[in-house]
Amino acid sequence: MKPLNLITLLLFIAGAAWALTRSEGTVRSIQNSYYAVISPFLKGGSSIEKKASAFIDEVEHSKAWETKYNLAKEELDEKRVEVAHLRKLELEIAQLRQALKFQQLTPFKVLATKIIRRQPSTWWHTVTIDRGEQQGIGVQLPVLSPEGLVGKVDAPSANTSTVILLTDESCQVSAKVDGTPEVGILSGQRGLTGDNPSLKLRFLSKDATIEPGMLVFTTGRGGLFPPDILLGEIKSFEPGPLHGEALVKPAVDFATLHTVFVKIPDSPESQASKANP
Amino acid sequence: MIKYIISITLLILAACMLQQFLPSIGGLHGARVLILPLVFLCAAVSVNFASMLMLAFICGFLWDAQNALGPSGGDIEIYTSPVENLRFGYSIILYAMMGLLMQGIQPLFKRGKWHISSLLAGIAIFFYLFAEFLLINLVRGDFVFPRAAFYRIYLTSALTMLFSPFIFWLIFQLASACHHTIRYTGLKKEHRYID
Repeated sequence: MKPLNLITLLLFIAGAAWALTRSEGTVRSIQNSYYAVISPFLKGGSSIEKKASAFIDEVEHSKAWETKYNLAKEELDEKRVEVAHLRKLELEIAQLRQALKFQQLTPFKVLATKIIRRQPSTWWHTVTIDRGEQQGIGVQLPVLSPEGLVGKVDAPSANTSTVILLTDESCQVSAKVDGTPEVGILSGQRGLTGDNPSLKLRFLSKDATIEPGMLVFTTGRGGLFPPDILLGEIKSFEPGPLHGEALVKPAVDFATLHTVFVKIPDSPESQASKANP
Repeated sequence: MIKYIISITLLILAACMLQQFLPSIGGLHGARVLILPLVFLCAAVSVNFASMLMLAFICGFLWDAQNALGPSGGDIEIYTSPVENLRFGYSIILYAMMGLLMQGIQPLFKRGKWHISSLLAGIAIFFYLFAEFLLINLVRGDFVFPRAAFYRIYLTSALTMLFSPFIFWLIFQLASACHHTIRYTGLKKEHRYID
């Protein structure tokens, strides 16, 4: 082997060993620096994507209008298009109202954020949101939607954060089955694909009486998630030799998720006032 | 040579940015084009061993900075079996292994048989993803290999391989712009003669 190759190989081994032995704090600071550099590109890319999508929509509409114009401007068709457009607007308003209502009605202090990137890695179920540490987002904070629990913040940087979704195997949630004394740990399943893969609820009693359709909520134990947040509904239950396992259909439709809410921790003053009303 | 290596490094950084905007395709089991590994693989066959290792370090470091997950957190009395994640830096080793595979066919590449390198890029990505999934199984226990995971690995590598001729074309353009000739300077044994 040439001396240069040997030196490079030794340097490479030293570099790889250095990277592999970094502490969690150092890895976080490396990731923070990385995301601080790329977050302007991410936000820029997301807005370009939106503009492109709006442009395509407009072109499609223009084409539709032109066709209709050429087809003797039939008033009925125009009305139909208008009604369809209004329905779309109505749906958007309803979604925004729902989000606003959720933000107003929720007992927690939440911060509305938008998803700017979906599943950037091959094996992890994650999304990137457009808020970060500068807006008060911290690590492990629960992420909610009006339908239920979405996941938790994994790596916040200055202006963006990575959220690990409930469908990922490493997002474990202490869960209870409504109407039964059963509690277990809910998490995603390894290697499953699709927008809404089933979740697995483990460590249930082997002789639990669990029926499909029963609702699953957070217990509030474990220090990560608040209690009584909807997680999903039971699809099936299988008793095992030691524990029972259930498959759960997530309450949140992860494919159509656009706005999510991060639960911000209460200030010490408000925590004290809650404790002594 | 240095100009070429710098331009390849810049190409890798550009690929890293582009990777952010390449979504997974739901209809294809979440497969995606892995542009950063592809650029690395195509570059690895065109540079010497030392430069390949340097590029492997850069790519692996960037990949893990982007994708590494933090610890699960929570009360260990409730979450009694926390899910382990892959350590930061594992990709550096995997990239180097893929790079070594590509360096093995450098003599063919030098003879102009880039299409074999193109095919091997797809195979290398298949092995990379497969090794990554095996590592996840190793650190988390409970060996599982669902069919969906196989399809994701297979379709991702096939999809990525389709883009390799374009990346090779780009690399050839860079090489000619930098007046760089791609030579086989891999791990060959040097013969020494005593007069």
